[in-house]
Amino acid sequence: MTIIKYDICGQICPSTLLTALQVINEYSEQLAEGEVKIAFKTDNRDAISTIPESAANMGYPVTVTKGDGYYLIEIRGGEE
Amino acid sequence: MNSEKAKTPSPANERDEGCQGIHAGPGSEKDAIERLSRENDELRRKYSTATQYIRDKVNQLLTVMGTSTLKPEELDDKTLIETDPVGIISNSFVQILKHLHKTNAKLKITNQEIKAIFDSAGAGILVIDREMRTLAYNAKLREQFFPDKSDVTGQPCYKVICNLSDPFSSCPFKRVFDSGENINLMGWVLDKRFYDIFCAPIKDEKGEVTRAVLVYMDITDRMQTEQALRQSEEKYRDLFENANDLIQSIGPDGTFQYVNRAWRETLGYAEDEVSGLTVFDILHPDCSECGPDFKSVVFGETAGRIETVFITKGGRRLNVEGNVSTAFSGGKLLGTRGIFRDITERKEAEEILSSERERLAVTLRCIGDGVITTDIAGKVVLMNKVAEALTGWPQEDAKGSPIAEVLHLIDETSRVVRDNPVETLLKSGKAVDILDHTLLVARGGKERLISDSVSPIVDRKSNIIGTVLVFRDVTEKRSLEEKLLKTEKIESLGVLAGGIAHDFNNLLNAIMGNIDLAVMDLDPGDRACESLSRAEKAVLRAKDLTQQLLTFSKGGAPIKKAASISELIRDSADFATRGSNVKCSFDLPEELWKVEIDLGQMSQVINNIVLNGVHAMPEGGQIYISAENLVIGYDGPELKRGKYVRVTVKDTGSGIPKEHLPRIFEPYFTTKHAGSGLGLATTYSIIKKHDGHIEVASDFGKGTTFSILLPAFSGNAAQNPIPVEKPSSKNKGRGRVLLLDDDDMVRTTTCEMLKRLGYEVVGSAEGNETLEKYQTARNLGKPFDAVILDLTIPGGMGGKETILKLREFDPGVKAVVSSGYSSDSIMANYLQYGFSGVLTKPYQTKDLSSVLQRVIFDI
Repeated sequence: MTIIKYDICGQICPSTLLTALQVINEYSEQLAEGEVKIAFKTDNRDAISTIPESAANMGYPVTVTKGDGYYLIEIRGGEE
Repeated sequence: MNSEKAKTPSPANERDEGCQGIHAGPGSEKDAIERLSRENDELRRKYSTATQYIRDKVNQLLTVMGTSTLKPEELDDKTLIETDPVGIISNSFVQILKHLHKTNAKLKITNQEIKAIFDSAGAGILVIDREMRTLAYNAKLREQFFPDKSDVTGQPCYKVICNLSDPFSSCPFKRVFDSGENINLMGWVLDKRFYDIFCAPIKDEKGEVTRAVLVYMDITDRMQTEQALRQSEEKYRDLFENANDLIQSIGPDGTFQYVNRAWRETLGYAEDEVSGLTVFDILHPDCSECGPDFKSVVFGETAGRIETVFITKGGRRLNVEGNVSTAFSGGKLLGTRGIFRDITERKEAEEILSSERERLAVTLRCIGDGVITTDIAGKVVLMNKVAEALTGWPQEDAKGSPIAEVLHLIDETSRVVRDNPVETLLKSGKAVDILDHTLLVARGGKERLISDSVSPIVDRKSNIIGTVLVFRDVTEKRSLEEKLLKTEKIESLGVLAGGIAHDFNNLLNAIMGNIDLAVMDLDPGDRACESLSRAEKAVLRAKDLTQQLLTFSKGGAPIKKAASISELIRDSADFATRGSNVKCSFDLPEELWKVEIDLGQMSQVINNIVLNGVHAMPEGGQIYISAENLVIGYDGPELKRGKYVRVTVKDTGSGIPKEHLPRIFEPYFTTKHAGSGLGLATTYSIIKKHDGHIEVASDFGKGTTFSILLPAFSGNAAQNPIPVEKPSSKNKGRGRVLLLDDDDMVRTTTCEMLKRLGYEVVGSAEGNETLEKYQTARNLGKPFDAVILDLTIPGGMGGKETILKLREFDPGVKAVVSSGYSSDSIMANYLQYGFSGVLTKPYQTKDLSSVLQRVIFDI
């Protein structure tokens, strides 16, 4: 599985969400097939609720882990 | 935006919706500029409106997405258009909608599944709201609580389920709505049935409990089953606890799961001690096979009847037997269950019984009688070795056979089959003795005379459960009894013969003496002399006969004399063959050495052997008798080295079978119907007493040869001087003679003979009388020169005692002993008894003369 990483630190809402949505849209087919995993590194606290909620509504499993000064939001492909 | 892939969102396509083609003309340039200015304003206004519209819609969408709206200072209109957030969000919505469609489809299926479960569940399911109203229920719930009612949706559950008109204030399920937690009620009773009720809350998106699901599990049947099981368990436990057998249940590890009261009491453990025990703690350490046996049982290898040895807590040995079963579940061993019975007493009894059996078996083996036991049907159960030998039936063949078949009995005389005593006993119930003269016919046909009895074997209630037959072979005993009878007869005959011989000798003595006297009175040429001479010969033969009778009756040591055996052989052989058609031929050389023999006994020997030959030749034949001198130069087992005379008697008769040869010298062994069985035995005895030897050789069907070896006379024949017969009877005697003889005829005749010889004679009939007369005569100065003493005085003092008394009175007394018992030891050794001479009855005048002359005058 390919891991596609985006560093969107410094962005704030709604930019972070729109950026994440645009990436998810771009890889929607690969995500649906389970071929890729997208990881967003963000320092925007709001993003850890908006991005996972949107991804979950699309049917993608999401995990959020806290790093040192950032959050890592991982969106896996396949069915939730 | 940074990215490891250095990707950035693509800018939106630039659109130029407001730029349309402008056509400027020279006349209307200003107008055109104004119109364009207005149109620009209008376009700006429309653009601004459109942009705002887009911003609003984007914000609306962002709000739906749950994020913050756009801020103009962050995103100008141009960038907004370029970024195209609407496009981004709408694409995201496409994905969200796709996911929703999928989710809805799944939900639909799930709903169907839930409904199917709901409808088909074996438990009643009820859904209620906070007001306890029925929202949904399944078919099972209807069946359980309201089968006859129509739809109850909307009705309160306390009416539908609990049949209450008002809410149940303390209904436990109400709490579910407050607590939000599950509640389970076990064994709740509703309408006489038992239920386990599980209540789970359903929460809305706010987490508030809006509904509750109740599941009703009807456990009435299970409760009843459990109750029945409990009762059954109690019943069995009661049975187990009151059982006298030891009952135990063992787990796969050998620990006790259950033991009953009898087990605990017998093995001496308290109830709380059992849990710490394993089965190996109660197996007796001395029982080496018990551990492995039980281990295999415990591990489920075998099951069934088992006999083992337990040890009690106190160390007592406990023999038990029982049955063990193994319990499996799904191929896994659950444990073993065993029921045991204390058989220690029985075991001890069995051991005692086994010892008794062994003792009985040994006794039966050792007993000399045949023993057979039968069952009540008269069939053989057991027999000892003697019985096997006597009947010819091995026990394994005889076992189960009718006793009459094994013990075949017939009458000795009539040979009629005898009633079997066992069958007679079984009919009569009383002990039966086997009749005399019963022959047992063995399997091989051999017949034996048997005796003894049959007794019943009775049980404790005196019922006959079999018989025991004890019998013995009395064939030999009968034979011995017959021989004993014969011996007694012979002994009686011997006594009779002795008595007859004694009297007969006296008679012969009188006849002989009177013949002598008669001859003396006649002229030598008188015709009567010849007749008297024949009478004298007949008396001498009669004398030999009486000697034989006396030898036969008294036996005893031979009175040996050195003599030629030739004449004795001829006389005896002729005498034995007289009256038969058997002839004797003799080969008796003149130079034959003399032998030291008792003439009477040796005559009997020759007589017996020749008679044996005569009997072997009933059709007549020849007996060859020869004699020869023989020197044996070495000491053998039978004879010492020295000079011997061998006498051989050979017949041409039927011979003796080889198997009889070793026994022919045994007393009472005879093959003759009229034989006493003593002839050859006496012969053997006499020869041995003469330090000789007798042999026999026989060729069956051709003849028999007897060889007798007798020591040759060495020169010192007898201790006593042999009276030498004086050729003349006319020698005159002188002196006084005292004669003791109880027989009047003998006394009278002898006195007359002595007078004729010139002696003065005084007679006496008894020893005391003799002593008195001897003493009187001596006291009167007229002593006797000699005394003739008869040895045997019936009812009075005989010669033996009289000589003792006479010698006390007169140590120089000269006495002659006289008797018909020539083989008596006193006659043989008369000097030792104080006599000076010996006179064998019947004697002639010349005998009297010679002995008195030698005694009185030492001539």
